[in-house]
Amino acid sequence: MALEIYAYKCRKCGQLHYPYRMVCKKCGKNDVFEFDTVPLPKNGKLLTFTTVHNLPPDFNVAKLTLGIVELENGMRVTGQLKAPSPKMGMRVTGKVEIVREAEYSKNFGFVFYPG
Amino acid sequence: MREVYAVGVGITSFTRLEYPLSEIAAYPAMMALKDAGLSKVDHVYVANMAAARLNHQSGLASAVVDTLSLTPAGAEVIENGPASGASALKQGYMAIASGLHDVVLVTGAERLREVNNLEATDAVATLSHPLAEYIYGVTLPSLAAMFTRLYMQKYGVTERHLAMVAVKNHDNALLNFYAHLHEKVTLEGILDSPEAMTNNPYVAEPLRFFDCCPVSDGGACVILASAEVAKKLKKPLVRLAGVGQATDSHCVHERAEPTDLLAVRGAAAQAFKMAGVTPSDVNVAELHDAFTILEIAESEEVGFFKKGQGHLALERGETRIGGKLPINTSGGLKAKGHPVGATGVGQAHEIILQLRGEAEKRQVKDAKIGFTCNFGGFGNNVVCLVFKREN
Ligand SMILES: [Zn+2]
Repeated sequence: MALEIYAYKCRKCGQLHYPYRMVCKKCGKNDVFEFDTVPLPKNGKLLTFTTVHNLPPDFNVAKLTLGIVELENGMRVTGQLKAPSPKMGMRVTGKVEIVREAEYSKNFGFVFYPG
Repeated sequence: MREVYAVGVGITSFTRLEYPLSEIAAYPAMMALKDAGLSKVDHVYVANMAAARLNHQSGLASAVVDTLSLTPAGAEVIENGPASGASALKQGYMAIASGLHDVVLVTGAERLREVNNLEATDAVATLSHPLAEYIYGVTLPSLAAMFTRLYMQKYGVTERHLAMVAVKNHDNALLNFYAHLHEKVTLEGILDSPEAMTNNPYVAEPLRFFDCCPVSDGGACVILASAEVAKKLKKPLVRLAGVGQATDSHCVHERAEPTDLLAVRGAAAQAFKMAGVTPSDVNVAELHDAFTILEIAESEEVGFFKKGQGHLALERGETRIGGKLPINTSGGLKAKGHPVGATGVGQAHEIILQLRGEAEKRQVKDAKIGFTCNFGGFGNNVVCLVFKREN
């Protein structure tokens, strides 16, 4: 089964959120937790990026590239980037993989590749 | 609302301090009480971000009020990330303006260097969104770097402009005894020479070592008082005339225009409106340059320069001491240092010295109106203050 990361769609007005909200940021209706989950698209373009050289102790690598990606539905997400020479505006495709591992936890998130 | 005055100030060196956090908070408070000529206060606010996490200490305010023998005055910790300091000053303002208290001591303190730099960076990184940013290895330098790349593309800011902020603020810090970095830097040394890449390596591209503030310990204190109390004391009258605060989306990626810092814009506009002044009335400002790009971007968002033109004002020398609007005369976070919870109080400390005419070799001539911008998270919670010299 492919792992998914979801956007949260307001049942009252249709506004998409990522990450989730308890209250819709557009219509503000909050009687109950009224959102439907919708898988986020995987394709998009790289809005901006950085290669980080001083990482927190959880990361056993010398450096890591991070980026903000504008997905094809216009929503944006932050993720890790595995591209040899990233450029702003380049097309990328996301996969959901382990992005951070600590002693008692594994976190899944977006990893973007060129194409 | 009642008027609120800053009647006493104190500070520690911003550096690595080898004594307990409660003393880092108490020492500048003792200096400030002495400066004000007061021995009692009604209330104590302690600004701090990471005591429980990094220093194994909770309830810091209770420790500080007792260390200072100020019991039974009320005391609380105010935590608002890197904007904790200005938030605590805002609490003090409200307590006096409302008539609840007459004298409030606001002290900020942080001891980040009890742990190594990467653990401190991680502690600060927990300010980012836990599920949508932090898990990826997002740190504050990485958010600033992604912001910088967009800023460069949109407004023509270059690495040279960023380095110019560093050079200016290091120069200013040389005039400030309490600054963390007393180190002259030049464009040649950090950008142009063949050794620049060694002297000034990338931290989070395109940001380099000298684009980022140091990891500092330190404390700073400002005592606030009602007009009735302030007018009995012998200090020059400096009024906290404007207070503004605004928030923005937790995730940087959700901002409609990712090069805008709307919380800075909103907080500054409120503070100016309350004080009844405009950005062009300001004589001296402390902006939150945790990264060099932020001094440029904030100088635009608060209204000193048009959006996209802050780097041009910097180029023209307008923000140097002696320029039209000196920014970060203390050295800023860049060179004075950034003991997170203390930073906002430290900014106010500098502005109060400037307005009293006590800023020694870095004094801005005839400064009457001063401004501070204390930037929490990556701009998701910002507090701005306006101070006015009276009499
Ligand atoms: Zn809605």
